[in-house]
Amino acid sequence: MNLEATPTGSASLTVRDLRAGYGDVRVLWDVSLEIEPGEVVALVGSNGAGKSTLLGALSGIVSVESGSILFGDVELAGAATDRIVHAGVVQVPQGRRLFGGLSVRENLLMGAYLRTDREVHADLERCLALLPRLRERYEFPAGRLSGGEQQQVAIARALMARPKLLLIDEMSLGLAPVLVDQLLGILAQIHAQGVTILMVEQDVQTALEFAGRAYVLETGRIVKSGPAAELLDDPSIKRAYLGI
Amino acid sequence: MNRLLRGLGLGGITGSPQAFAVSLGIMALLLALPALHNGYLELTFRNILMFAAMSYGWNLLGGYTGYVSFGNVVFFGIGAYCSAVLSAHHVDSLLADVPVALVCAALFAIVVGVPILRLRGHYFGIATLGIALAAADLANNLDVLGGSGGLALKQVPQEQFSLYYYAMWAVALACMLGTFAIARSKLGYAFVAIRENEDAAQVLGVWPTRYKVTAYALGAMMTAAAGAVYAPANGFVDPSIAFAVDDNVFPIVMSILGGMGTAAGPFIGALLLAGLNEILQSQFVKIHSLFFGAIIVLVVLFLPRGIVYLIGLRGGMRRYLADRAAFRV
Repeated sequence: MNLEATPTGSASLTVRDLRAGYGDVRVLWDVSLEIEPGEVVALVGSNGAGKSTLLGALSGIVSVESGSILFGDVELAGAATDRIVHAGVVQVPQGRRLFGGLSVRENLLMGAYLRTDREVHADLERCLALLPRLRERYEFPAGRLSGGEQQQVAIARALMARPKLLLIDEMSLGLAPVLVDQLLGILAQIHAQGVTILMVEQDVQTALEFAGRAYVLETGRIVKSGPAAELLDDPSIKRAYLGI
Repeated sequence: MNRLLRGLGLGGITGSPQAFAVSLGIMALLLALPALHNGYLELTFRNILMFAAMSYGWNLLGGYTGYVSFGNVVFFGIGAYCSAVLSAHHVDSLLADVPVALVCAALFAIVVGVPILRLRGHYFGIATLGIALAAADLANNLDVLGGSGGLALKQVPQEQFSLYYYAMWAVALACMLGTFAIARSKLGYAFVAIRENEDAAQVLGVWPTRYKVTAYALGAMMTAAAGAVYAPANGFVDPSIAFAVDDNVFPIVMSILGGMGTAAGPFIGALLLAGLNEILQSQFVKIHSLFFGAIIVLVVLFLPRGIVYLIGLRGGMRRYLADRAAFRV
């Protein structure tokens, strides 16, 4: 399911020479990447390559040492998370990170926390139409749902913030393949509605089959990039990540 | 915007509405208490109301954002010393004491909260404990505050005795209604989101430090108001009174017993615990703490969400067991 870029009015993301890390430990070394509006881009790499750190830097929860993160004409490097969410860059964090004691409904509404427009209710309906399972679980504490359902809540919660660029961290983690396929179907629909997607995946095969383009991150540096289909055929990728 | 979200149901984690209604009812009854002209009762219930206000002060941060403070007595002390210092300058009016205490406590909470609320979990608790101990030492050594000798306030004339009861009642009511209003607002939801998952809240644009400091400062104001009324009613303040260990621990236990993160819990907890303490102390002079401790352990084991849960319970024991299995009531 290779998704072609669909043109929308949203902004492109340009990351230039990004260095970031935790305290004295630098994780990302001069990372540069570009995502055009309407693309689905995968960021793959092994454990500890810095994938989640990169998403964290984009979301403002990991501090940026130097470099720039330009979203449209807004500089996001070092910006506060509320500004980043406001600009339209929203993350679905790894491991779901739901508000376990709050209901599904409340979790979704928390996604719209910064919004002040009057279309929150319409968006809520749209999310429930996209993810009908959530309607059945609407008043349930999110922490009591199954893993697949929780991932749906996490995605829907991010959608409630009206993302232009959706960052998805390890969506497939701990889920059965059939559930992953289901979620990818949902992502395809979200993408069809004009949302740009950057997905971080350890499951390289799944990611490269789904995305249009991909970047390969190794020990904090981008070592390869290109159309996902080409990377899927790349012998070194096959050897390193696919075990073929 | 608030109205919109409330219409959608993003309107509040106040705990059982029945429990809140019961609390308001009891508060209404307590307003009539001075009519009994019973000095002992009035003093006892003024104490309970004071603890209720302090419990609300702790609950806002501890119950709603999940940051457990072990040093909220600092704000009680700040409130008490504000009144004492004003009295030393011949200002003897609650209308001056309370506003000054509110401002001082809020400022102190912001200055201290910004650095220490970056700490998570136990580290935050230990930092607050350190501040409480340091504040007591500071008061012991500051001449302006009377040092270890303390400060005497203007004696309350006998006919004004009830004034302080009413004032404490008003403070407790303001804390109760304030907590209810905050919990139902978007602010309350930011607090709860931080408690449920701070990282997720941050990713969604809820800047945790801002909201944690807000909760801390609002709680500080509630606690300081109680202190500001207590000092002139007591007529004397010294470090052991202003920073008493009981005043530090009781509000935490009361909130947990009544129900953390609810609008009725702190009041009900204060009522039950202070009442219980009074009875146990008179019946079992030597070993009352033993019973006291046992009751607290039992409640924490079997009702970790507090007494408030029981008030809203419909369906008796079977419902309790079912809820307990499903939601850890």
